[in-house]
Amino acid sequence: MSEKVTIRRLATGVPGLDEILGGGLPEFSFNLIVGAPGSGKTTLVHQIMFALATPERPALFFTVLGEPPLKMLRYQQQFTFFDPGKINESIRFVNLSQEVSSGNFDEVLARISKEVEACSPGLVFVDSFRSVLLEAGHKSDGEIGLQQFIQRLGIHLSGWQATTFLVGEYGSEDDPHPVFTVADGLLRLGQRVYRNSMVRQMQVLKMRGQATRPGMQTFRISDAGIELFPAALVRDDTGAAQQAAGSGRTKARLPMGVPGLDAMLGGGLPSGYSMLVAGPSGSGKTILATAFLAEGVRRGEPGVIVAFEQTPSQSRTPTIDDLVRAGKVGLINTRALDLSIDEIVQRLIGLIRSTKATRVVIDSLSGFELAVAPTFREDFRESLFRMIAVLSGLGVTIVMTSELEDRYTDLRFSPYGSAFLTDAIIVQRYIEIDSRFKRVMAVVKVRGSAHSDELREFDINDDGITIGQPVRDYEGLLTGHAARTSTAGPLPRAKTR
Amino acid sequence: MPISPADSSQLRETIRTTLEDGARNHPAARATSEATGNIWRLVEAQLVPVIGAHGLDVLFRHALHQTISAYPWLAAVEDRGGSAGPLPSLMACLAAQPAAAAAEAAQALLFNFTEMLSRLVGDALTKRLLAPVWVGPPSPSEQEITS
Repeated sequence: MSEKVTIRRLATGVPGLDEILGGGLPEFSFNLIVGAPGSGKTTLVHQIMFALATPERPALFFTVLGEPPLKMLRYQQQFTFFDPGKINESIRFVNLSQEVSSGNFDEVLARISKEVEACSPGLVFVDSFRSVLLEAGHKSDGEIGLQQFIQRLGIHLSGWQATTFLVGEYGSEDDPHPVFTVADGLLRLGQRVYRNSMVRQMQVLKMRGQATRPGMQTFRISDAGIELFPAALVRDDTGAAQQAAGSGRTKARLPMGVPGLDAMLGGGLPSGYSMLVAGPSGSGKTILATAFLAEGVRRGEPGVIVAFEQTPSQSRTPTIDDLVRAGKVGLINTRALDLSIDEIVQRLIGLIRSTKATRVVIDSLSGFELAVAPTFREDFRESLFRMIAVLSGLGVTIVMTSELEDRYTDLRFSPYGSAFLTDAIIVQRYIEIDSRFKRVMAVVKVRGSAHSDELREFDINDDGITIGQPVRDYEGLLTGHAARTSTAGPLPRAKTR
Repeated sequence: MPISPADSSQLRETIRTTLEDGARNHPAARATSEATGNIWRLVEAQLVPVIGAHGLDVLFRHALHQTISAYPWLAAVEDRGGSAGPLPSLMACLAAQPAAAAAEAAQALLFNFTEMLSRLVGDALTKRLLAPVWVGPPSPSEQEITS
């Protein structure tokens, strides 16, 4: 008898949950779903129940003293997963309030056992289990104790081969309830409120027999129910993911769609690279990024843009508008202020896969930071690193824009210290020459490639960006103290702003 | 969502048929009363596991309160409810009325109750939960299941 038992994993029907559980929910497991009121516990178990319950694998849902069943049914059916056709066919509700109010664990256990034996359910839910414990615990006449009750229930339900979910509020992590030790799986749901934003999070604290995703994972509740956005994995100990990150890189160079810029980059942007375009407001960052996408479309390379800067009613550049309308460029346009980076990454990955995009624009990191819930802002830099790594792993080439305050005391490319995360950097600046505002750009870095070191003047007109000649005869243009070089002759003297 | 006019008249017809069918095997004087008692016991069996005894009781009393405006003599049911529940009292009350009036009131009470449940949990779920109560042709969903 050397053959090991194979534990079947059930697909929960909750997007992202199977991923953090380590491949799904182990069949016949005894699970606890815990969290504060309003954290989404009932919604989660209903979503799982409606996804998994079939006439062959019926579900028993025991309601206790928590949410009144009438209200639960009223509100839960607002979700698209709620299928009234399954009620009494593959899902049966059983109200336990009578037995629970008697205060006797024996009676509660007997009623649950009786219903389980009558129905042979594949799935059993008790909502809320805490109500059972509180009510029965206070009034118990001592026939069987709490621990014994939980153990018996666990044994009974496992014996009847039911995958079980007990829902409830069980205090803090520091004061674990005895039921925690009996459980095979433990999921904690919570909400983080910071200023005016609220972020929902879920953590798998325990799931016997499988490798779960560590840490808090963000989720959102919409009409369709719960959707999780698991934090993207960058690399594992074996370096396998890291290897994958380099898979999109080939020797190919991508034309930028701006005449002259490819030559400055040493022949275009290397495929699979991430580029940062940094510059002050109005310097032409979005126009450059748009040209990059438009050039891709011309060459049959679909693109995706994540736009944070403008409202849908504000007209984006006509080029992008046209490309999005024609379905040639995918658009994620959001001004929500409670996003997690993981949510954006998940949406982006989905769009990249569905459109087979190879060019990605994020416009801009400054808008992105604003859209992210305040609670995540302190981790913004780390999250950016993870996002770039994940996107690189998909093989796409990325252009990100970043608002840069025009400062002449130091030369910075990104307020997030993200410059070192990217493979290439273009910087745009304003300078003043002969009492006129001029735009200049330079290629600061292209990893592993020769590139121009010239500061080039450029203009923006209806056709986009036109790169002009290098700015000669001046020095100190980026310091605020520009002056004619000695070889350029006397006045006019040039000053930067 | 309230029941649509078409569904409403269909529900009234279903309730009438079920009451008549249930009354067939009882002496004329108590026919409606007995049939009503049987129907409410079926309703109880269907709904108590789902919404609890208290939930059912509250809905029943609300429906009764609504029906009393058209049939004031039903007020006696509330007075005689007691801890045993209002059903014996309702049956006695119906038995004391002329057959036609009793049938009308029993139908109205069941209709109000069903409509109220539908407002709370939706038409589809109400139909699904109370399907075993009614006599009549199988609902479309049942036909799909058996075919």
